[in-house]
Amino acid sequence: MSVASPTPTQAPQALRHRRSVRRLTAGQLADLRNAIAAAQEIGDDRGYQFWAGIHGLPLPISCTHHTELFLPWHRAYLYLFEKALQERVPGVTLPWWDWTANHAEGVPEAYSRRRANGRRNPLFDSPIQPGGRENPRQARTVRTPGAPGELPSSAQVEAILANRDFLTFQTQLESIHDGVHVWVGGTMESIATAAYDPIFWSHHCMIDRLWYLWQLRHPGAGIPARLLDRALAPFPLTVRQTLDVSGLGYDYAASTAVAEGPGHG
Amino acid sequence: MVERFTSKPIELPPADRPFVRADLIFHGLDHSGASFEAQVFLGSRGVGRDADRDHRAYVGSFFIFGHGGCFGDVGHCDIPRDRDPFDLRPPHQLEPATRILTVTEAVAGLLERDVETAKVTVIARTASKKPADVLAFEKVRLATYA
Repeated sequence: MSVASPTPTQAPQALRHRRSVRRLTAGQLADLRNAIAAAQEIGDDRGYQFWAGIHGLPLPISCTHHTELFLPWHRAYLYLFEKALQERVPGVTLPWWDWTANHAEGVPEAYSRRRANGRRNPLFDSPIQPGGRENPRQARTVRTPGAPGELPSSAQVEAILANRDFLTFQTQLESIHDGVHVWVGGTMESIATAAYDPIFWSHHCMIDRLWYLWQLRHPGAGIPARLLDRALAPFPLTVRQTLDVSGLGYDYAASTAVAEGPGHG
Repeated sequence: MVERFTSKPIELPPADRPFVRADLIFHGLDHSGASFEAQVFLGSRGVGRDADRDHRAYVGSFFIFGHGGCFGDVGHCDIPRDRDPFDLRPPHQLEPATRILTVTEAVAGLLERDVETAKVTVIARTASKKPADVLAFEKVRLATYA
């Protein structure tokens, strides 16, 4: 038995839209940078370092890789990190990095520019707290990107989206995901440190989006029922609570426009 | 850990049993060390360590996002044996992984050439692109689906 894909449960105007990082307006990109920069200034459990550390170092390493909970755990992780960012800049959302497109660009410009608007670009790199380092000299994140042509192709992703079985889909998507971690290289290449790199969040947003697209494409398929009530430690969510992104307050609409109705007056 | 592994010959499906999909399924993969690309080759014989994506027997790659070593004290990264069935804690972080590589066209191509068995070679390459001793897995299985 499995449970089917998302059914919208909230009015559309309550949802926030996650967008492609390459299509952010200047204002949306500024909001993202401001939110990340503000989170970096906080040293407690609302701050960037706290959230990055949940994935890897300092111990315990809480992320779930190479298990049946890979996609739900990371959906919960992104949701809660995004909530932390929204406490800094209301309405901000995580963007996705579509690594199947614009291969010649490699790392998207929003993340690859060292400076933005006359100051350090908080998406370019991040400090790593002492307890989060694999070695004492690893004070900031670094990247060593591979050849752009080695990023996943849209044909590879399409083949994976065609899987009807959730666990097969998840396993093959995780392999693609692993490959992008290796491609970015540097801090992103190790489970222990990956989440300190700001591009981690956009990479995983893309993975989460592909799961969302798979859910839409296979409405009769879903996660095995035996997994639904599993907890996603350390988060206060179960697998079941991650299935419907509209219940988490976001979606991946390609575009959105609103017109007022006549009202009830 | 090895940098390259070639399996014993695996039986291909009979030519008169059509399939729509063929997968190589790798069970019991270790992911405790460095991240790596596993380049997979399928053919009537194994391939050498210099083979790469341009080799005619190359059928695809899978990737492993590794833990990068152990950051705890002695025993921290030992996977517990004989897990208590009433233990509701999450499984150990280093429980082995599975990877599934779809190789439908490659298997069909071998059958067209009347090949009955094939060897699977896996070469592990880390970020340096050189073969590295990071590969360990329990078994590889060829599954076809009609």
